[in-house]
Amino acid sequence: MDAYLIPAVDGVAYGLLLAIAAAGLTVAFGAGGVLNLAHGTLIAAGGYVAAATSSGTWTGLVLAVLAATVAGAAGGGVLAAATAALRGRGHLDQALLTFGLALAGGDLLTTVYGPDTLRPRLPAVLQATVTVGGHRYPVDRLAVLGIAVVVCAAGYVLLHRTRAGRLVRATVDDRAMVAGIGVNPRLVDASVLVTAGALAGLAGALSTPILGVGPGTADTVLLLSLIVVVCGRLGSVPGAVAAALAVGVVQTLGVTTFPTVAPYLLTGAMAAVLLARRTGLPAQARP
Amino acid sequence: MTTRSMRRRIAALAAAAVLLAAAACTDSPGDAGTVKVGLLVSLSGTYTTVGEDMQRGFKLYLDTHGGKLGGRKVDLIVGDEGDGPATAVPAAQKLLERDRVVALTGLVGGATVDKVQTLTTAKKIPLVGANARPAFAPVGGKARDLTYTWHTSYNSDEPGIAIASHIKAQVGDGEVYAIGPDYQGGYDELRGFTDTFTKLGGKLANPDGKTVFTPFPTTENFLPYLNKAAQEKPKAVYTFYAGAAAVAFVKQYAQSDLKDVPLYAAGFLTEGSVLTAQGPAATGIRNVLNYSPTLPNPANQQFVAAWSAAGHTGQPTTFAMASYDAAAVLDRALAAVDGDVTGEELNKAIGEVGRIVSPRGDWQFEPTEHRPVQRWYLREVKADGPVLSNVLVQDLTTLPAS
Repeated sequence: MDAYLIPAVDGVAYGLLLAIAAAGLTVAFGAGGVLNLAHGTLIAAGGYVAAATSSGTWTGLVLAVLAATVAGAAGGGVLAAATAALRGRGHLDQALLTFGLALAGGDLLTTVYGPDTLRPRLPAVLQATVTVGGHRYPVDRLAVLGIAVVVCAAGYVLLHRTRAGRLVRATVDDRAMVAGIGVNPRLVDASVLVTAGALAGLAGALSTPILGVGPGTADTVLLLSLIVVVCGRLGSVPGAVAAALAVGVVQTLGVTTFPTVAPYLLTGAMAAVLLARRTGLPAQARP
Repeated sequence: MTTRSMRRRIAALAAAAVLLAAAACTDSPGDAGTVKVGLLVSLSGTYTTVGEDMQRGFKLYLDTHGGKLGGRKVDLIVGDEGDGPATAVPAAQKLLERDRVVALTGLVGGATVDKVQTLTTAKKIPLVGANARPAFAPVGGKARDLTYTWHTSYNSDEPGIAIASHIKAQVGDGEVYAIGPDYQGGYDELRGFTDTFTKLGGKLANPDGKTVFTPFPTTENFLPYLNKAAQEKPKAVYTFYAGAAAVAFVKQYAQSDLKDVPLYAAGFLTEGSVLTAQGPAATGIRNVLNYSPTLPNPANQQFVAAWSAAGHTGQPTTFAMASYDAAAVLDRALAAVDGDVTGEELNKAIGEVGRIVSPRGDWQFEPTEHRPVQRWYLREVKADGPVLSNVLVQDLTTLPAS
């Protein structure tokens, strides 16, 4: 059992990172109705901004996280403006538009930040290791784990226990009714995209100490987030968290336990989930 | 789009393609004093920094030799190799067919070399590769024709072969854990080490005695692999990674249960810009390569000085050095060709360049396999003044052994 402790902790930390990344995607799709293929690029942008802002001090770290979140939110705003014109034209148009924005944005990021993989400079305390159950474990990952738990909990409370959250969920179910109580559903859509962007930026900032951010980051996290969203049901934050944890654990325990089939484990798991559920995706996206 | 407008567009496209092809055919040969040389390196993707380094090395030679090779002005045409054959093959085809280069150099990845080699051979254009050289698989049951294939670098399995006996001496009866990336370069690098090491009586700490290969380029979370490896209680670890993966690997190694286990590597793990990114986590890593910026020979001192004078940050790498040497080879060979340069004549001249005075120490081509016979060095990552450097520790061996 001892052999699986560290990979399991690692899997949870990695999974929670993915949960934040995928939460933005699933909220944008499920609640905002926008299939956002630029989500990975927003995460990469957050990572680059965080890496460039950090300075090795605690203040620098806080600034880096804030700057990344703001950058993500701004990106979400741009997407909201761009996709507003496409409302009602189906997901293919949205996919094409956001994919185009992702390509242009990705190119812009490499031009500005260069082709190297960047990592933020962390305070010395976070770069140390602690002993967990007799094994060495990096402090920065534990810190990410802690922050991720807080963000996921806050996200759940916001969506399910506040008026704003109720409005968002109501907009998904019945736009006309929301308009009827005097709230502009388009405003809700836009704020959902901005929030999703902020989550993406935050996820980018949190993942850079561990994984770094480089030209391949956007594609990798978009793919993983899509897998999480598909496995966790669209628009469901608890579903995204559960699926992300499963993906994280599969990615860490799986690769060491079944190394030969590791590359296929994730897509295999997704296929199994889809087969077991057998519901069409568009039907879920537009109830 | 209606069927008719679609048809019209296809017709237009086809016409454009025909015109382009015709233009390429009637392209007049450049004036006798100029030769076109193709440089194909990664300018995007995982190995961009390696590709840019190679480009700098080649250009440094050109710039310090008046923009000429063998007395001829050089028109250097640069192509982007990207992450591998998918992007590299079309780029190579463009250089060979549209630009009509007389030689192709560069090439970062082993898989790229494997594919492009057949193109250049078919066109009888010398390929002067300056980085990875794979174990060429036979095509259609026949061994590869290497007449037009040259490398100023090394065979990808040589670093491992060169360091195996040193590691065996260090660990004694202890076991060594072998781990690397799951692609051609990883197989070659790791096989070089594991084959030689086990032949010398060494034992691998890996369960079932097989190297662990991590998915490439998707895995940059190495912690689970490293902690798993720690359970085997190896006396040392041998690895090869390059580029972004090398940074992640070295940083996470220092955070893992393996932290106090000596790490040996093919020198690419700590070569070039990755070393700056790794920072103190890389200190003490012992690695093997055919070059160290601290080599004391005059050619190297000149090379290092020219590198700094050109305004490049950091120290020159083996990638830059081998590309610089590719230019030196072409310089000597082009000087030996009279009149118009054809691929065949240039190739013959390359076979006769003899000893190359190089920053790595003098070397020459092995006559049948067309790769350098050169010395390999043990290096250790140490602070060299204010910067980290791969400091020369000792000579290891000359490969290929005659």
